[in-house]
Amino acid sequence: MLHSLVLAFGFGLITASVLALAGVGVTLQFGVTNYVNFAYGAYLALSAFLAWTLNVVVGLDFWVAVAISTLVIAVCAVVVNRVLLQPFARRKLPTVYMLIVTLGLWLILSNVVLVLWGASQRHFSVAGQHPVEIGPFLFTPSQLLIIAVAVVCLVGVHLLLTQTKLGKAMRAMSDDSGLAAVSGIDTDRVVDATWFLTGALIGLSGCVLALNLSSFLPTFGDDFLFVIFSAVILGGIGHPYGTMIGALIVGLATEMSAVLIQSSYKSDVAFALLIIMLLVRPRGLIPSRAK
Amino acid sequence: MDLAVFGPYIATILAYFIIFNILTWGLNIQFGYAGIPNFTYITFMAMGAYVTGATGLPRPTAGFQYVQYILGYSWPFPITLLAGAVGAGALAFLLGLITLRRLRTDYLAIVTFSLGFILYDVVGTFVPLFNGFDGLFGVPQPLADVFQLDPNTYPYFFIPLSLVIMLICWLVANRIFDSPLGRTMRAIREDVEVAEALGKDSFRFRIIALIVGCVFAGVAGGLTIEFVTAFNPSGWTAPETFVIFAACLVGGKANNRGAVLGAFLVPVIFFEGSRFIPVPPDHPLLLAGIRYMVIGTLLIGVLWFRPEGLLPEKKKAFFEIALKKPTLPVVQAPDAL
Repeated sequence: MLHSLVLAFGFGLITASVLALAGVGVTLQFGVTNYVNFAYGAYLALSAFLAWTLNVVVGLDFWVAVAISTLVIAVCAVVVNRVLLQPFARRKLPTVYMLIVTLGLWLILSNVVLVLWGASQRHFSVAGQHPVEIGPFLFTPSQLLIIAVAVVCLVGVHLLLTQTKLGKAMRAMSDDSGLAAVSGIDTDRVVDATWFLTGALIGLSGCVLALNLSSFLPTFGDDFLFVIFSAVILGGIGHPYGTMIGALIVGLATEMSAVLIQSSYKSDVAFALLIIMLLVRPRGLIPSRAK
Repeated sequence: MDLAVFGPYIATILAYFIIFNILTWGLNIQFGYAGIPNFTYITFMAMGAYVTGATGLPRPTAGFQYVQYILGYSWPFPITLLAGAVGAGALAFLLGLITLRRLRTDYLAIVTFSLGFILYDVVGTFVPLFNGFDGLFGVPQPLADVFQLDPNTYPYFFIPLSLVIMLICWLVANRIFDSPLGRTMRAIREDVEVAEALGKDSFRFRIIALIVGCVFAGVAGGLTIEFVTAFNPSGWTAPETFVIFAACLVGGKANNRGAVLGAFLVPVIFFEGSRFIPVPPDHPLLLAGIRYMVIGTLLIGVLWFRPEGLLPEKKKAFFEIALKKPTLPVVQAPDAL
């Protein structure tokens, strides 16, 4: 029992890494643009299936395929923003219309994935799946790589937000986009940059999530989306560092609960955490001032 | 034109149209009147269907086709439908208690959207509840045994029956719209702060809108399972909610006539009408995929080109209270000094 809990803790760390990647992307985009995008489930799936085609059909190395797929999703996210979301956002419609637009986008993209790749289980061809013992944990080399990639990316996001002009502009827009605009920040450019960054993070996490699941369906992104939302809300929506903590909590809770209760209900634990959080601290662990 | 062939076909289309109408009006009450983004509306339809079916079926017995489900009271027709409506309403009450107290629109949307996936998962995997992914089947059709109707003639009985239920729903939906209750819902939709400043308890009115809307969904679900006699999770996947949203938005939200137009145009044409389009046998997913893409495009298109819908909401015209004309003399600026 204790041993399996310790093992589950290790799996929790991997899930937390994937969650943190996606969650930071989601929360950055929400902070800057101020609406939730429900199409992420489809972005995750699109990224994983694109990488699958490059990896299995074309025969590229897995991580090369991931890099290409990540870049493609990042560019797609910017294009979708320019073509669809930004024009709607400019009209200043009520929030709920914006949400319905992203849901329409989700319907289109998720069915594009379904039609193009079909509804069968897929898995990547990756070498080196023999687990190695590290302390009390058991990881495959690719799982260790997932954690390393996540840490590198999150440190990168941290440096971007604190050390660069773009990061400062993003934080300024997150606090108050009107004020940011009158201070001379090119808000359209910042929104584009945010979508690129978010698209890259989502694309990357889609691929590594699919790798970690070992086999995946076109709907796996939708099933993972509310786990991401749980992590984001737990950390306080629009707050990247809170999201990292939220991802850690949700990742560990879902994986460790799988030991104690039936593992098919593990994502329900994430939802239960979300509900408890909304009832007890609706503004998240680290409440942000502006939102 | 053989009536024996076309009669049941037309009756089936008509039955679906009636059910979609009730569904769209229910969503209209929640979303159109009160502005609540319930992105898992279809779950409440499923709740109504399951409770109606499970209360109408006899207790499950172990045997050749062993199915598992809760309830199983063999209740007669109108009571099963009422039970379904109450079941959907109770679930809505729970959702409202959690979410409507203080959550903003986006949080509410996230919670409802997530709840749909969770409940879908639970109903599918926890077999003792409603028989998992196989669902319920063999549900007795209303009063079929009393009047000794066979499956071929049954639609001719079901249509007038569901028309009566639809009429009741129509009257309720319109009565709410014209009543102070409906006015307050719309006021809260437009501006919560103003409505609260006028002493309206926004939580109370929003939870009423949520429950009434979901009761409509429950009735529609109950009628579905009684007509089809079977229901399983493939009937209430998450995208289905947005078909109803599309109907509501295309027709014109907060306008029940518009909802009828939307319920006719969107689901009937795209889903029931395209049932007979030949599908290439090597790509069975194509048709379903294209249908949802069309719905997604329709949602985006209608919000871009005509967000108020084909038949916009009728704004109530009130006589204006004439304000006192300003009596101060208008001071003319001196032309030149």
